Amino acid sequence: MAGVTPLYDAIWNDYILWSLFVGAIAFGWLYHHSYFYRSEDGESPNIDNLEVGVFPKDYDNLRLEVAWTILPFILIVWLTYISWAPLDAVWSETGPDGYHGSECQEGESSESYIDADGYVRSSCYHDLGITGQQWFWEFDCYELSEDICSTGYATVEGELKPQLTLKTGETYLATMTSIDVTHAVKNPGFGIMEDVQPGQITYLWMPAVEDTSFLMLCAEYCGDNHAYMTAQIIVE
Amino acid sequence: MERSTVSRRLVLISLLAMAMIVVPAVTSLPSGISGVKDTGCNCHGTEASPSVTASISGLPETYNASETYAVTVSFTGGPSTDGNANLGGFNLWASDGTLATLDSSAQLWSPNEASHTTEGNDQRSWNLEWIAPDSGVDVEFILHTNSVNGNEGDSGSSGDEWDRAQTTVLGFGPNVLPDADPFKVLATLIIISTVLLSIIVLYVFYRNNPDGFEWARFAPWITEWLTSTDHKKIGTLYFVQGLFFLGVGGIMALMIRVQLSSPGNDFITQEYYNQFFTLHGTTMIFLAAMPLIAGFANWIVPLQIGAPDLAFPRLNALSFWLQPVAALLIFTGVFSGAGADTGWTGYAPYVVSENTHAGVSMWAAGQIMLVASSTLTGINFLTTIAVMRSPGMGWFQMPLFTWSILVANLMLFLSIPAFGVGLIQVYLDRTIGTGFYDVAAGGDPLLWSHLFWYFGHPEVYVVIVPAFGVISEVIATSARRSIFGYKSMVYAMAGIGLVSFIVYGHHMFTSGMSPTLRFVTMLTTMLVAVPTGIKIFNWLKTMHGGSLVYRTHTLWTLGFLVTFTLGGISGMFFPSMAMDVHLHETYFVVAHFHYVLVGGTVFGFFAAIYYWYPKMTGRMLDERLGVLHFLTAFISYNALFWPMHRLGVVGMIRRTHTYYITTDDIQALPEWAADWNMLISMSAFLFFASNLLLVVNMIKSLVRGEKAPADPWGGWSFEWMTSSPPPTPSFDPHNLPMLKDANEHVANEPGRLGQMFRRLMVSDDAPEEGSH
Repeated sequence: MAGVTPLYDAIWNDYILWSLFVGAIAFGWLYHHSYFYRSEDGESPNIDNLEVGVFPKDYDNLRLEVAWTILPFILIVWLTYISWAPLDAVWSETGPDGYHGSECQEGESSESYIDADGYVRSSCYHDLGITGQQWFWEFDCYELSEDICSTGYATVEGELKPQLTLKTGETYLATMTSIDVTHAVKNPGFGIMEDVQPGQITYLWMPAVEDTSFLMLCAEYCGDNHAYMTAQIIVE
Repeated sequence: MERSTVSRRLVLISLLAMAMIVVPAVTSLPSGISGVKDTGCNCHGTEASPSVTASISGLPETYNASETYAVTVSFTGGPSTDGNANLGGFNLWASDGTLATLDSSAQLWSPNEASHTTEGNDQRSWNLEWIAPDSGVDVEFILHTNSVNGNEGDSGSSGDEWDRAQTTVLGFGPNVLPDADPFKVLATLIIISTVLLSIIVLYVFYRNNPDGFEWARFAPWITEWLTSTDHKKIGTLYFVQGLFFLGVGGIMALMIRVQLSSPGNDFITQEYYNQFFTLHGTTMIFLAAMPLIAGFANWIVPLQIGAPDLAFPRLNALSFWLQPVAALLIFTGVFSGAGADTGWTGYAPYVVSENTHAGVSMWAAGQIMLVASSTLTGINFLTTIAVMRSPGMGWFQMPLFTWSILVANLMLFLSIPAFGVGLIQVYLDRTIGTGFYDVAAGGDPLLWSHLFWYFGHPEVYVVIVPAFGVISEVIATSARRSIFGYKSMVYAMAGIGLVSFIVYGHHMFTSGMSPTLRFVTMLTTMLVAVPTGIKIFNWLKTMHGGSLVYRTHTLWTLGFLVTFTLGGISGMFFPSMAMDVHLHETYFVVAHFHYVLVGGTVFGFFAAIYYWYPKMTGRMLDERLGVLHFLTAFISYNALFWPMHRLGVVGMIRRTHTYYITTDDIQALPEWAADWNMLISMSAFLFFASNLLLVVNMIKSLVRGEKAPADPWGGWSFEWMTSSPPPTPSFDPHNLPMLKDANEHVANEPGRLGQMFRRLMVSDDAPEEGSH
């Protein structure tokens, strides 16, 4: 599953590793016991002398039970920890403390790059607008110059759909809203999504680090033509 | 030759048609013009000019019926100056009422439209009359005035400027409803009066001779089921309903899968597709899973705690009978071709918008009834378990299935009111026009998400926790052992119940949540893994040193452990939000919740069917058919849902009528995604078909099955004490069974926490201070 984003891939690989570890323990244990402790004759022995109307004798071991409370707990604390920093990167704040600085001056470039940890860093970002409506997207490049951001139309399976052309190496902050009902911007190429709500503004970082093109989809069910609410995004 | 004549004629005709459209605007110049209410005086310049101001005076704010009002239309500004050959003109249009002229400076084109005449084109204001209508509707006035510079000839309209004014006069009353169809009125009257008349006639006959009719004699077989308050009969009704809707929901899923078997398929229209996935979700959760659970809870809980029946048998009957009625309401829209199309989550504001089908109102109404049903069930089971346990059975001697029903009902009872409130708001928004979710009216669409998921997340645990109970029973009995860590099992279930209320934010990760809350929800969601892990490890440890007897229910239990563990692991990927923003709303989510809901709840309850069917019917199920059912279902199930993980990772999103494959023009899903979808669809049919084996098995065994003994599997709890099937009442109320305990500690002795409380409180035996 090569490459959604370096950030996504790093977490994914960690999680797959831990899943395999946990899965190996659970399934190894399950298969071993279901083979080794099977009944030979298909009937008894009645190990704990189960008897109708008698609460069976206790079978527990406090140490074991505490062990498999504490150990998974440590594991999830670790998993939360490795998921924490990427959380700040995906929803970075603006300004000097964030990953993408402040808004670019005219003619300035974001100079986005991926650092050693897989986070996208930029010196500044560009504003653009996305508006959802039943059942099409509308892009607004505001006052950005043509080479940084331009809108147009593309043919997707015989239908004319909006197209947004972005420039490689630039980072964009989309300011989004909806005119009618809830939609969601889903950009598989950037590995991100965020809802757009009527009467509310949401924001989405779109770091265009590499040349790519993909189909942007609506990921929140919004009525009849929901499946056809697409747009073409090109990074070049 | 002929063809060129035809095309020449066509050109001529179209030229003529164009001329007919254009001519009136050109020739009517100084003499006034009609038909400009929408276009404006565009031959005097394409746009309205800001330097001209048109105004209407003399109109009231609200008119009285049929009253005559004097109206003056005028304008100021523009090139119109004294000394011009002409000064200007107007056109006034009113949506209702009648216009009338007072002098020759104005003329009527219709009762709704007036303009100046040739005589009146040398004025800047004109006087008219308007006679108000008697209907009471709001009337709209549109005025265009033209300020002219007086040049004549072909360029007579150049240099002129015009303006538009619009005003609305309010009607005196509400909008009058359109006339009803007299035939419909007549038909309704006939139907209502016939029904009333029949009821009265029947009642009179019945009063005349009350002994003449008795349900039990009229239709004894159906009466038994319609009027029963016996927990076993109601349990069977729930069970049959649950299985029936499992089939209905399954067929809907098959429709969805046929549509998705290849990209760009047009097997069903998107309108139907949207209804199918909405009703698939609603049916499976509310009309299949919940009734299946309620069926087993009804059957088994009173038997397990040694109670003759539930605490409120009539309430129990009401709980059930609300269900089929609710199901009818939910499906009403489908019968009329306009079923609910909102997704089972019914996100606002779409759910209240005008684009939705009419069936959404009925869908909401039906679910409100289900909320009522679940609340009553909650009251009933909580009371029963609290007060009707047999002598000798303390809280910590209850069988784990009873514990799971207690925890599930407590969760449901605390969470479902929020859902009920939300549904009532949606219903009111849709029917009487309140604005809870209407953004324009100040409503809040996110409120619905909060109310829904505050209920919705505990709800998914409500349907999985009873399956935990089943698995605990089956695995202990099959391994011929006591369950490992009984108390930690109970605490784990209670823990899941508690945590379920604080994790629902993960459904709203992408809705613009605050970063702090995102982190908190991420942590609490991860926490769910701890109690769930305890349960899985305890089950595995229960098998240790046991002697596992392989029967069909044992196979389903082991199958449950495999699929539920996989579903649990894939669930851990969502709280990690940098990953979730890619996986959210994709087939990875679909795969995950089908692994826990089908691989968990449904597999768990298949185990329950094989485990308790002999108790419920007195007949053993066919083991060979059972094993065949397990093998075919387990394999096709995994072939059905496992590939969905992969599709989700490459970005296939859920709830869409089609999906896009990469072509020369677009970058979307890889080409193999279509092949995998085909495999999934085929597996879906196999999975559906394999479950028919269960139905065949149940019917066949009911007719020709071996007679079941009281305790075929060697379980310990009270249900195995009664005969198969159990008598009614299930236990003699005057001679309740007494639970013995194989452990040395005295039953009902308080635990450490209880002892601490006892020390804190004044003992009953201690002498009271005031008494000496």
